[in-house]
Amino acid sequence: MEKEAAILTPSVAGKSEDQALVARALTVDYGEGPVLGPLDLHLPAQGIYTVLGPSGSGKSTLLKAAAGLLPGFGGSLIYGGRPIGSGKAAGAEIRVGLVPQNYGLLPWQTAIANIRTALKIARPDEDRARREATALRWLELMGLSGLEGRYPRALSGGQQQRVAIARAFAIRPDLLLLDEPFSALDAVTREGLQRLLLESWRQQPSTMLFVTHDVEEAVLLGRKIVILTSSAGHPVLIDNESVFFLADEDKRDHETFYEQTRHIRRIMREGR
Amino acid sequence: MKSGNNTEKSRAGNNGEKSNPESDSATSRATSRPSRNNRISGFGTMLLRLLSVFVVLHVLWGLIAALLKRDMLPSPLVVYRALFKLDGGDMLLNIGTSMGRVFAGIALALIVGLLLGLLMGRSPRWNRLLDPVVYLTYPIPKIALLPVAMLFLGLGEASKIVMIALILVFQVIISVRDGVKAIPANTYDVLTSLGAGRMAKFTQITLPGALSSILSTIRISLGTAFSVLFFTEIYGTEHGMGYFIMDAWLRLDYPGMYAGILLFSGVGFLLFVLVDLFEHRFMKWRA
Repeated sequence: MEKEAAILTPSVAGKSEDQALVARALTVDYGEGPVLGPLDLHLPAQGIYTVLGPSGSGKSTLLKAAAGLLPGFGGSLIYGGRPIGSGKAAGAEIRVGLVPQNYGLLPWQTAIANIRTALKIARPDEDRARREATALRWLELMGLSGLEGRYPRALSGGQQQRVAIARAFAIRPDLLLLDEPFSALDAVTREGLQRLLLESWRQQPSTMLFVTHDVEEAVLLGRKIVILTSSAGHPVLIDNESVFFLADEDKRDHETFYEQTRHIRRIMREGR
Repeated sequence: MKSGNNTEKSRAGNNGEKSNPESDSATSRATSRPSRNNRISGFGTMLLRLLSVFVVLHVLWGLIAALLKRDMLPSPLVVYRALFKLDGGDMLLNIGTSMGRVFAGIALALIVGLLLGLLMGRSPRWNRLLDPVVYLTYPIPKIALLPVAMLFLGLGEASKIVMIALILVFQVIISVRDGVKAIPANTYDVLTSLGAGRMAKFTQITLPGALSSILSTIRISLGTAFSVLFFTEIYGTEHGMGYFIMDAWLRLDYPGMYAGILLFSGVGFLLFVLVDLFEHRFMKWRA
């Protein structure tokens, strides 16, 4: 019995450790000098990590690597003990919910068909009725009921973005990757979607990487903030729990929020 | 039709951000009605325009026929009388035979052309290899190869179908390749990150993405295929629209000849409409 417990305990304790996203000496080079890294990161599971950095710091490249979209990279990138493949192997074991900057909806499929397609690929073992219910539920949570039959062209930017987010959540991903998803939206739409994103994530937590160039957005959403600098150097990892656990309504007006924003601006200035 | 879509879009844009499902669905319901009405009236005007062109052409034809007063251009009335006197079963066989050849030729061209076009569009290596081949052979006037096709394949169906396919296949290859190339690479990102296989990517992205250029190729091909068909039906057959027209001509049966030409055009027009309907069904997302 004791022996059994001894075996069980470390595996339970190690679970979140196992599920961590770990980068070791991650380097991406297209032949004209490194685009990213060398980068070392250790991000425990089930957290929202916002990735900040000026353009050219490799934010999007990091996200692409995590999505398994890069043909090759140096070093290693591991999620839950399994390497994220260079290319194809990624999705087979690690479910990735990707929300690209341009929303990435297939223009020839309606809102619900876009989610259906993703579910069919990500969850082939589930029956059709269950997938359909999942798709409808997430569209409803995103406030898109009644628009499921629309083609992306007949939706506004904010609506398209919500379809993309619904799709990413619907597959119940291990890794949720968002690449500056709100950068093309107006301020009011953006704030609404930030809140919606946080609510959805609380309902269904996963390891979320959120790339942004907006310092305030990074502070508002992230549990930890990863700051990449343009010159190859170690990323700065900032603990943001003090803001993360504030109530959503208070965040923007809270003193801690301002302080954290100032703090990060200073780091970004000096890190350059 | 256009204005209907615009209002729909702008109203959806104003309303949607409040994430209020009630108002969203109300908007879509309210705007779907006028857009449908517009579509019907748009279809009506289109039909009216086609009809008026049809009538004007016939009036012109009648005028020229009346002015010429020669056997080689009978009046529309005479031709239509000849048209309705034609043996239905016989003409059905002629039309059926011709359609069979056209469809077989187009199908063959599409199969080969899609395969090569997709290959060249998706793989730079295959494109490098095949591009010079296409570039070099494209300008050859393929109709000049008709005797060669007859020598190798005989006078029967094979040479006719291959001839049609041969002429069409190059434009299919080129437009499919360009259509596939025009799909932005990042369109594949989300499905790739989900671990989609080749087949899923092909059916969900490559094919629908290239469908619009495939359909416009088919539209152009249809006209070309009919012209080639006419040539190939001059020899080695006793059925088909081309054969019928040439036969009537040689018998100096001018009303019959014109009746054949009318029928041939009518069939061509129907196929054209068919492609349009197909496009309307599958290209809805672009409207």
